[in-house]
Amino acid sequence: MDLTFIVALVVVLALFFDFTNGFHDTANAMATPIATGAIKPKTAVALAAVLNLVGAFLSTEVAKTVSGGLIREGEGGIQITPLMIFAGLIGAIVWNMITWLLGLPSSSSHALFGGLIGAAIVGAGFQAVDYGVVVSKVLLPAILAPVIAGTVAYLATKLAYWITKRDESASSPKRGGFRYGQIFSSSLVALAHGTNDAQKTMGVITLVLIAGGFQAAGTGPEFWVILSCALAIAIGTYSGGWRIIRTMGSGLTEVKPAQGFSAESSTASAILASSHLGFALSTTQVASGSVIGSGLGRKGAKVRWDTAGRIGIGWLLTLPAAGAIGALAALIAHLGMVGVVIDAVAGAAVIGLMYIVSKRNQVGHDNAISDVDQAGEIVKIKRKKKRKATAKKRSKQQAELSADGPEPAAAETARVGATKNHEGTDEGAAR
Amino acid sequence: MNIDWLAFLIVAVATLVSALFVVGSYGLGVRLLAVAADAPETRRPAYRGLAYLSFAVAAVAVGYGIYLIVPAFH
Repeated sequence: MDLTFIVALVVVLALFFDFTNGFHDTANAMATPIATGAIKPKTAVALAAVLNLVGAFLSTEVAKTVSGGLIREGEGGIQITPLMIFAGLIGAIVWNMITWLLGLPSSSSHALFGGLIGAAIVGAGFQAVDYGVVVSKVLLPAILAPVIAGTVAYLATKLAYWITKRDESASSPKRGGFRYGQIFSSSLVALAHGTNDAQKTMGVITLVLIAGGFQAAGTGPEFWVILSCALAIAIGTYSGGWRIIRTMGSGLTEVKPAQGFSAESSTASAILASSHLGFALSTTQVASGSVIGSGLGRKGAKVRWDTAGRIGIGWLLTLPAAGAIGALAALIAHLGMVGVVIDAVAGAAVIGLMYIVSKRNQVGHDNAISDVDQAGEIVKIKRKKKRKATAKKRSKQQAELSADGPEPAAAETARVGATKNHEGTDEGAAR
Repeated sequence: MNIDWLAFLIVAVATLVSALFVVGSYGLGVRLLAVAADAPETRRPAYRGLAYLSFAVAAVAVGYGIYLIVPAFH
């Protein structure tokens, strides 16, 4: 089999995976600011794309050890072949497409790990995988990441509401100020995502270049690899995973600016802290945990646990499912050149099919958070109208009253006070 | 199996401290801006200045976080 052909195919596939990773994870950074109206949907994905691009160039530390010892490599272990990586990538991409179609924010890194593990098991048997590392580097963080991020987001939301709480006499709590903060906090999440996730693809491409003998072992990613990965994830981010944005932005809980800011700060902190300390938490799991935590932290906010449960099941399935698809692809690929072609064609067919299915009920920037958005607008318009209506009514009544004679001025002021109070609480609830 | 529990603990504490710090300082700024709006004319600039100081503190904390993750800066 032509090695160059396989390597080229893997590079293309890896870049496509990077693309799916981008649009799959746009939601992590931009679902909450879109939901609160801090940033317009199209601006948000453009901003996230640029920051992912920048983030990809910031650091290449993670890329140097992408498989993270999951697969026993080198002496005493197995030889990772380009074919294995090829099959693993097919597993990861197909699973990413399935979860996108279902609108589930699942971890792209788990899909990648799962696919590679599945392909490695088929290629070299069950002893190819270091299960201890799987538990300590993949499974345990998968449980702890959302718990840590959720707890922190819960506390941060409490803090945000406590610190901005004002007396009844104050004109308003003015928590809308958090909306501007969200622009920065969500940008930070996008940047963190770029430094984290683009590198995984850089690592895969470098791995296959080394395995194919095109690059010396132990060297970092080449510049063209960094550049193309950065571009792929940025373009993917820009195309926007609106289905997942819908789930994250309004499916889990309704997000207010103060909550959004707290959730994004927690997400960014968790990702940056963990990547700085050398182990990768899944961006998706951290972000989902934060959104749920911030929902629990605001009084009166409801968390939709059925959606959360659906997401949880998606997480449980990601590793084995991507692994199974990767294993299947590896089995077929072992037939030789024919197998590789079958894999490529079947993979393309599945992706094309899902794209066609997705067209049936399209979710785009215009309707991703439409429910929340429209609800918010309707409420605002109504409130304005109501206010005008009550003002009109009041002046009419006043006119009638004054026509009747200078009757109970006290009652009138009391009524005005009551309406004012009512509007005050209304506004507070809206914020 | 070798599980690095200490690393998880460090990540948890670092996340908690940094997120609460950023949210706390930004939230203080939001509150001070609201206070400034209600304050008498003479004291308004002082509150507003403090509010912007709080925002600046939050921004510096974020900048430090970015500084930490970029190896090129070290």
